[in-house]
Amino acid sequence: MSAENPPDRDDILAMLASLDGRPAHDVPELIESMELAWLVHQVEQRYGVRMELDSGQYGRMTTVSGAADVLREVIGMPDEHFRD
Amino acid sequence: MTKGLASTGFALATSPEWVDEILLRGAGDEVCLHSGGPIDRAALRRMVAHRQARLAEAGLRAGGSLALRLPPSTAYVANLLAGWRIGAQVSLLDHRLTAFEVDLALRRLAPQVVVEPGRVTSGPLSAFAEVEEQVTARDGRPAATPHAVIQFSSGSTGPSKVIGRTAADLVAEVERYTRIDGVPLPGERIVVLASMVHVLGLVGALLYGLHAGVQIRPPDRLTGDSVLDAVAAEPTPATVLGVPFHIGLLASVVDPPTLPQLKRMTTGGEAVPAATAAAFTGKYGVPLGNMWGMTEVGVIATDLFGEHRPALTPAPGLAVVERDGELLVSRPESPYVGLSDPDRWADGWLRTRDAGTVDPATGLVTVKGRLDSQVSVGGLKVDLTEVEATLAELPGVVAAVVLHDDVITAYAQLDAPATAASVQAALATRLAAYKRPRRLHVLDALPRTTTGKLVRDRSVLRQAVAR
Repeated sequence: MSAENPPDRDDILAMLASLDGRPAHDVPELIESMELAWLVHQVEQRYGVRMELDSGQYGRMTTVSGAADVLREVIGMPDEHFRD
Repeated sequence: MTKGLASTGFALATSPEWVDEILLRGAGDEVCLHSGGPIDRAALRRMVAHRQARLAEAGLRAGGSLALRLPPSTAYVANLLAGWRIGAQVSLLDHRLTAFEVDLALRRLAPQVVVEPGRVTSGPLSAFAEVEEQVTARDGRPAATPHAVIQFSSGSTGPSKVIGRTAADLVAEVERYTRIDGVPLPGERIVVLASMVHVLGLVGALLYGLHAGVQIRPPDRLTGDSVLDAVAAEPTPATVLGVPFHIGLLASVVDPPTLPQLKRMTTGGEAVPAATAAAFTGKYGVPLGNMWGMTEVGVIATDLFGEHRPALTPAPGLAVVERDGELLVSRPESPYVGLSDPDRWADGWLRTRDAGTVDPATGLVTVKGRLDSQVSVGGLKVDLTEVEATLAELPGVVAAVVLHDDVITAYAQLDAPATAASVQAALATRLAAYKRPRRLHVLDALPRTTTGKLVRDRSVLRQAVAR
């Protein structure tokens, strides 16, 4: 993943896998609350920003696919969702 | 003794004045909590008085019963203290429980007043939620025991156990904290990441902090940067209190700022891998403390300087012994409500269900893992038998095995028309998200022994999936 491109599905799986060191192919599709915090934290660390998401966006980040969609939107429109 | 008790209720072991004497006393302008902004003791006392009036209006009296189903928030803190100040017994329900689980709990507890979130305006990453609470009077029973707080533990052999602690027992734990070397000192801060609905955050942060004059400061959000922002926000020394997950958050912050205020991080809830501990101390250069405790007792043993990891020193006033490989802790009375179970508590000793050793020369305690089917998910205790029983009872589930294989993993044999999706949807209504299997494997037939028992061996089950 580069800082210019939004994280894709594989990037998200890799970030979730880094939570406990399991292989990326072993990461479940469903994202639970602690994993969500970890994922947002990881994205913030990689991009050096703070993400401001609304409840609808958080609500869609309960699956890996949903998270990829939200992060694609958010990283595509940084002014709306980032705070330095 | 408590005055004005409801006739059928019990007197609390300590009069409700303990809330003022032990927790709320202090200079009115001293900031005791920070949530969205500083909250001083005068403001907190006003919040508590306001909630007390609302709860009294709903009919709560001394000796009555109150259930809180609130996420950690100022509303939670104020209602908890208000309930105690009234002299009521307060049951704490995790806000993540499903409606099904809450119904079961409320039927069992029969509280007279319930406080739940009406509207939550904060995001899911908030460490302290913004909540507008809803107070409901119910046709419940007054407190049936003298306990000030009631909590549930996941049950290993049936329904959850109901755990009660008296005000005197909570005060004794607060006092125990004051005697442990390495806890935050008056004038310092606790950046609390552990939930204040559970014992580590409840007593280790909220009650101890209020008592000792240590400011309780949740970060804005549960991300690494936010935690460090909370530490950096004031010049006073700060201790970060959380579970091992939070060590990982901080250890993975890229180029953290120099933080002279950061005094220590302390975690409880589960063992910390040595590599995680080394990554944290290498990055921040401060001690990583370790605590062991349980809902029934509170803090049992600590190593707040990270000197003996993974061994711990029993907290002052508590004795820990090893019997047949299991750790037992001294506790004068059984913590279980409505349950006489000599297999859990007898003769002043509580069986912790943790395997471990006590070094005869030093008294240091080493915890070596669970002896039952309880696992820890992000510091929250989950009993796999509860998960398995819930799954097995669902319509269309012929047989089920649930075990921990990195994550909670379920194997199920289904009858049409049940499908993996229908089973997962049904589980979502019955079990809080953190208890649910993260993986569900549907098999045509679960492996069984020659005598027909379900096989629980991980490798056999994995092979059955791979076929």
